[in-house]
Amino acid sequence: MVHDPLSLLDALVVALSGFVIVFLMLALLWGIILVISRVVSGVEHHPIPGMAAPAPAPAPVRAAAPAAAPQVVLEGIDETQAACVMAIVSHETGIPLDQLVFKSIKAV
Amino acid sequence: MQFSFIDALGEILAGSGFAALADDPRSLIMILISFVLLYLGIGKKFEPLLLIPIAFGMLLANFPITGLLNAPTATSSPGMLWVFYQGVEHAIYPSIIFLGIGAMTDFGPLIARPSSLLLGAAAQLGIFAAFLLALALGFPGAVAAAIGIIGGADGPTAILVASRLARDYLPAIAIAAYSYMALIPMIQPPLMRLLTTKAEREIKMEQLRPVSKTEKIVFPIAVATVVILLIPDTAPLIGMLMLGNLLRECGVTERLSDTAQNALCNIVTIFLGLSVGCKAVASTFLTWDTIKIIILGLIAFMFSTIGGLIFGKIMCKLTGGKVNPLIGSAGVSAVPMAARVSQVEGQKANPANFLLMHAMGPNVAGVIGSAVAAGFMLKVFGA
Repeated sequence: MVHDPLSLLDALVVALSGFVIVFLMLALLWGIILVISRVVSGVEHHPIPGMAAPAPAPAPVRAAAPAAAPQVVLEGIDETQAACVMAIVSHETGIPLDQLVFKSIKAV
Repeated sequence: MQFSFIDALGEILAGSGFAALADDPRSLIMILISFVLLYLGIGKKFEPLLLIPIAFGMLLANFPITGLLNAPTATSSPGMLWVFYQGVEHAIYPSIIFLGIGAMTDFGPLIARPSSLLLGAAAQLGIFAAFLLALALGFPGAVAAAIGIIGGADGPTAILVASRLARDYLPAIAIAAYSYMALIPMIQPPLMRLLTTKAEREIKMEQLRPVSKTEKIVFPIAVATVVILLIPDTAPLIGMLMLGNLLRECGVTERLSDTAQNALCNIVTIFLGLSVGCKAVASTFLTWDTIKIIILGLIAFMFSTIGGLIFGKIMCKLTGGKVNPLIGSAGVSAVPMAARVSQVEGQKANPANFLLMHAMGPNVAGVIGSAVAAGFMLKVFGA
């Protein structure tokens, strides 16, 4: 608590201290946001064992069937990635998708 | 008993407000000022949601012998405006307004680029510059602190601090704060063009990363915990701001969030405006101090804008030209008007520039920054 009248020096010290404290406080919040972001990112990408995971771990699934590959087993990748792989293979080999048969696609 | 119509008419006129106005013509000047403010609010649309209730409160308070401002006594009830004013006296209205602001604010851009917080801090320069200038003009320390808070460009914060530290100056401080907030599109652009080069204004910023829902939920809880524990005087403002934001982000309190953003905020805005206006009575308002406060408020806004812009330029240099310094001026907390000004000026320099979301980071950081500065001033000068 400061009492009047404030000397010039006191006034400058109050003003400078206030400005520095605002900076320090917001810099501290910057650090806190970084920590929150890291922790949240870590938890969301690597669920803690025993905790209910937001999404099940990738497991072999039956993909939605493309015309030429009605039963493709996907291991470690999702349907979008599988579709990309199929499109790339088709493009690189020059074989139309409806003439290609994929039995399984596995992440390595 | 003999009844005389003329005598009765004379008695009614003698006991009327018109007769009382003649006794103190300064009230008439205040009524005229309230008309001007009503014109600015309605005709010019200067912050009408607050300026109109303030002006009407001023009008009501300056009608003589209404008893609207009378405090309760052993034999009489309190006046209506006295009752309303208790919400300001006890910091209820500004805090509830902050609840609404929290519920309306998306802190995502700030979380995506937390370095924006420093721009919000730099843009509080005007608070401390105006504080020093107010002291130089002879105001006591506590009043100077309340005047300085105008530079935070945050109406509720200015009202809260003025109600605690400079009660007699509350109307002048509130009117200055809200008037200049409305004038931000006129105050800031010349300074932005003066302090930045065209090449700097043309800088296009990288797209912000997506922020997860969990981050947005944890953010208000963490900020409230850390800031209030460190500076307890910020509790009414930061506490309610973060509660409002949590209601918005948690996803299970949509009705409360909606109420905080709309109905509750609107109701309290009416009471807040009337309460501030009703303190604008001739004896405290028609003074040279009011004119000094209006001038200091403008200086405070200009210094805050300059502080944000200079720090924006520093960040631009440090990041190798990845930060457009124009977003620095949005560090004054007038949300979202200051961010819109950054967007407009950025697009003038480069039509393909979209700075709005980038400027929202410093803009909401400014709200926190001005609340921290207010907490500091209350700590230093509060009773």
